[in-house]
Amino acid sequence: MNLQNLSYAAIQVVHNFGAVAVVGSAVCALWAGSGLARMRQPLAWIALLGWTAQAASGASLGAVSWLYYGRFPDIHGIALAALLIKITCAAAGFMLAAAFVYRGTGWRESAQQATWRALAALAATALTAAAFLRWFA
Amino acid sequence: MRISSIYPLVGVALLACSQISLAENATVKITAPADGAQLDAMAQHQVVYDVMPGPTGDHSHLYVDNREVAVLRQLKGSYALTALAPGQHAICIRVVNKGHTPIGVEQCVNVSVK
Repeated sequence: MNLQNLSYAAIQVVHNFGAVAVVGSAVCALWAGSGLARMRQPLAWIALLGWTAQAASGASLGAVSWLYYGRFPDIHGIALAALLIKITCAAAGFMLAAAFVYRGTGWRESAQQATWRALAALAATALTAAAFLRWFA
Repeated sequence: MRISSIYPLVGVALLACSQISLAENATVKITAPADGAQLDAMAQHQVVYDVMPGPTGDHSHLYVDNREVAVLRQLKGSYALTALAPGQHAICIRVVNKGHTPIGVEQCVNVSVK
């Protein structure tokens, strides 16, 4: 088995599950609404871990390329723009989720709802950008 | 220094050596235009190529003056260049892996456009 492909595949697994976590946690929090407010704290942890996994695995994909070839992937145009969007979403998603974990349950209801809507929007945007990164690279 | 601390270094060195040998099995050949060719600025020019990606390569990227102009999915074929400005230009094809990282195998031709 090719070790290089195995490395990329293992990191891709983490990346994919991170995507599931960031989308799933936000959708669950919005779907549950204020009736299951106690679920928001664990969901925020899942979102935080998901965004962390997204960022770490994304960086690791670049790191594997650097380790093997001393270069990062060669992408331009739409693909590069999509990558920058993904990085921006990951940074914003991480900070929002971290803020919610830290003291989000003490915020007023409208602020909590707005945070989860923003997290859902960031997750959807990142996933959409991922498709463009995949097919325009 | 503990002996166990050199294991990661040995691992990285072996990994690098194994990849160099894998990359050596890849080749890229630009059959047209020829190196040193003089091209007409008003004409459209085809870059004709033949790529063997080897075990770690997947496809190739085409560059003009180090700027990527196309992703070449076919291993053998041609690509029509848009008009080139007068002057010296370097046309290169680099073999890349599935993640679009150049694996260190490339061929370049230098052309003069008038």
